Amino acid sequence: MGSVIFPSFPVWGIAKVFVLFGMTMYVVFGFVIVRQVKLMTDTLQLGFEGMIRILSYIHLLFTIAVFIFALLIL
Amino acid sequence: MPDIFISEEKKEPEKKLKDDTPVEKEVKEILGKTLIKKEVKSLIASYLRNPKGVNFEIKEKEEKIELLLRMHPITNLKWILISIIMIFAPVVLTSFPILDFLPGNYQFIAILGWYLIVTSFVLENFLTWYFNVYIITDERIIDVDFYNLIYKDISTAEIERIQDVSYRMGGVVRTLFNYGDVFIQTAAEKPNFEFLAVPKPDKVVKLLQDLMIQEKQEAIEGRVR
Repeated sequence: MGSVIFPSFPVWGIAKVFVLFGMTMYVVFGFVIVRQVKLMTDTLQLGFEGMIRILSYIHLLFTIAVFIFALLIL
Repeated sequence: MPDIFISEEKKEPEKKLKDDTPVEKEVKEILGKTLIKKEVKSLIASYLRNPKGVNFEIKEKEEKIELLLRMHPITNLKWILISIIMIFAPVVLTSFPILDFLPGNYQFIAILGWYLIVTSFVLENFLTWYFNVYIITDERIIDVDFYNLIYKDISTAEIERIQDVSYRMGGVVRTLFNYGDVFIQTAAEKPNFEFLAVPKPDKVVKLLQDLMIQEKQEAIEGRVR
């Protein structure tokens, strides 16, 4: 689909690339959080490590799900 | 003498004994609730005296944790309020056509992306608060800092190297919720330790002074511990 000013220019195609690039960065960030939580829980054991690790994994799954969703519907 | 034959009728009373009476059930329920409450309390606690199940990387075998501190939970209020506003922002913004220039699928992904940012914001703030702790053991003080989820800084100082301890408490909120900053001057590699916004700073200072006296006594008596 092109823009009104430049009908042949694939505006939404480029937008999709940018969105997916941003989402990829976010998935990487999700992995960084998982790694960091592991480092934190290895440094300090305060009694709720399991729950906090689960939270970080849920966050990572959420980022991956949004990335796949964006890939499919955009 | 052992029973040769046990009738079904005879077995029943044993079963009944195993079942809890209503009073026992109620007691168990209350105990369970109390335990859950205790767990939740210890999750968000910022002043834990002789905490159980707490361990850290550089802990020595015989070292005993006297006190675990982190910033007072009320200091989280700011990011919690921001998070609540962020959660409801898309709902409020539906009355303003900000994203109307985007096609429907892009609008949907924009909202999902927004909630991704909110989740990260909440997680990062919680983790930073939860893992930035100050530990006082019977031998030393430890300051564990994690910056922006990327940098880790652990500083320690022996109790016997502490030279001066003071605390500062001021302002309405700090007085109301009884928290303040504790300043510790040491002769260790890191000369100043700051335990910021910790609950009951007076008790923290008192404990440190007691530990300092204890260490001096141990040194006079020639004991290691």
